[in-house]
Amino acid sequence: MGLFALLLALLALYAYLYPGLLSWAGIARFTQNWFPVALVAIAQTLVMLMGGIDLAVGAMVSLGTVLAATLVGGSVLGAGLGITATVAIGVVAGGLVGTIVALFGLPAIIVTLSSSFLIGGAALLVMARPGGSMPDWLSEGLVGVHPTALLILIVLLIAWRVLRATPLGLAIDASGDNPTGAFRSGVNIVAARIAAYAISGGLAAFAGVYVAAQTGAGDPLIGTPLTLQSITAAVLGGVGFLGGQGTLRGAVAGSLLLAVLVNVMFFLGLPPVAQYVMQGLIIVAAMGIKRLRERAA
Amino acid sequence: MFGLAAAALMAGTQLAAPGTAEAAAKCITGDRQAPFTVGWANIYSVPTWMKQTEGTITDIVDQLKEQGLVDKLVVTDAEGNANNQITQIQSMIDADVDAIVIIAGSSTALNRVIEQACEKGIAVANVDSLVDTDQLTVKINTDSQKWGTEAAQFIADQLGGEGKVIIMNGPAGISVSEDRRAGVDPVLEANPGLEVLTETNTAYNSAPAQEAMTSLLFQYPEIDGIISLGGALSAGAILAMDRQGRELPPMTGENYRQFLELWKEKDLTAWATMQPNWLGGLGAYAAVQALNGKDIPAYVEVPLPIIDNSNIDEYLARAGDFPADGYIYSPYDIAMFDKLLGIQ
Repeated sequence: MGLFALLLALLALYAYLYPGLLSWAGIARFTQNWFPVALVAIAQTLVMLMGGIDLAVGAMVSLGTVLAATLVGGSVLGAGLGITATVAIGVVAGGLVGTIVALFGLPAIIVTLSSSFLIGGAALLVMARPGGSMPDWLSEGLVGVHPTALLILIVLLIAWRVLRATPLGLAIDASGDNPTGAFRSGVNIVAARIAAYAISGGLAAFAGVYVAAQTGAGDPLIGTPLTLQSITAAVLGGVGFLGGQGTLRGAVAGSLLLAVLVNVMFFLGLPPVAQYVMQGLIIVAAMGIKRLRERAA
Repeated sequence: MFGLAAAALMAGTQLAAPGTAEAAAKCITGDRQAPFTVGWANIYSVPTWMKQTEGTITDIVDQLKEQGLVDKLVVTDAEGNANNQITQIQSMIDADVDAIVIIAGSSTALNRVIEQACEKGIAVANVDSLVDTDQLTVKINTDSQKWGTEAAQFIADQLGGEGKVIIMNGPAGISVSEDRRAGVDPVLEANPGLEVLTETNTAYNSAPAQEAMTSLLFQYPEIDGIISLGGALSAGAILAMDRQGRELPPMTGENYRQFLELWKEKDLTAWATMQPNWLGGLGAYAAVQALNGKDIPAYVEVPLPIIDNSNIDEYLARAGDFPADGYIYSPYDIAMFDKLLGIQ
């Protein structure tokens, strides 16, 4: 568990450099900035556990922000409907991508790369430039002084635990680990794949809703860097490229490492060039410790 | 106000100053004392344009340090990621810097965190890529729409209002590039003889622009003018056309060094303006002056300098002072900044 030790050390260092972290509002603000990366890391991991990869995660976040900033109304009902619609569109889009991957056996990397252009284009069609708005009360609720983000994250991790006890969850787990074996034991691999992509799409769209609430508006390009971050977080967390290897918990920890690094490097007062070097070193270190442990085992 | 602050310090008490600041700029509460810490929240430090901009900031900060107004410059790089930029501005607020200079990665993403900084009495100067919120001390920029209008007007004038043109844009979905493009429309409406063959959208880099232009050239045997809305884009267009032996039509562009050099070398009829890099230095200066009690206007429009065949040599004469893939910006100094900000 080299990653978790590294994380604890970095969090302790961050709290030492910025004691304000250890307050209700401090935790709230930190988790808010971490949350979108954590969500896309989970979305990416679900797909990677199936042996796939999703290069459209970032575009889906962008689409989520512009849809949310367009659809979410000022009333509680309007907001609820808008968020539901946005997440539903994410689920449908993810499900379609999953269907193409699962039914036609096309490489996930190709299918999701092309869908990233389609989804990114759709985001630009909804909003040619950043704009729209989110109700203030929603922004305050999700991204205010309370650690709502942390709460949602915990709920999501519990939901995954529960899901894994259901036939669908078992199917997702099993078909990633050993597709042939799972198929022979009667697991519907196609359905499991489609479900994984659909859930992933929904999570990415919800990350978009959250970013829209965080920023108060939609932006058709804002999600782009999240694709690479989601993959980095998952790999840092021990998720393998071949499927079946890694945990959601690990991916969330990986995303936390990425988030806390940004803050620690700021408070250490490192110049931007050193920030790039540090990031590289930490990632290599996290991966190296993991590999050494695997060898020792 | 300074006498009051000094008295409070001598009495050994903290100056609590809610509402005591008069005629001060926005976000300024009057309880921050020199020397100030300035934060530079950069969206992306790698492009040459950004490095040059940072150069003008460190230059101005060094001058302000000599005056005892600034003691520290904190620099962050969001690596092109608006979410990182939110986090880093949040960290600057947590670290209680006195001023923040921002080039925004998104016109909307930073609104809430900037408003938070303003509430804390931090002077926020937003330059170049602007945000939507007005809860900050000062926004400084050129007029991007005018940029587009003047560029299109130059081509319309050159072609006598008739001809086939290509419009080269920066990336889609970015405010600056959308604004420049919007400025072109009134000229197209006023000159129905101008036929837009097609438009390109690429990053503000010469390589992708060159690629885009290369494939277009096969499609369009006749191109009478190029309305390019970015400096490196024009350089890409020239390289693409030159390689295919095409005649170079009148075109517009920016103060990108390679473009200006090609312009001279190929003896073009061209027009260029610029987004001066010293907008960054001006932002740092304006924020510190606001903290210093000066009244700074909420919006400062920096006039667009014009480069054409009559004065291009003045710019090229200074080319050696700038990186090969950089921008030859017009000279600046504190006196000029004072004038732009209306400081006596």
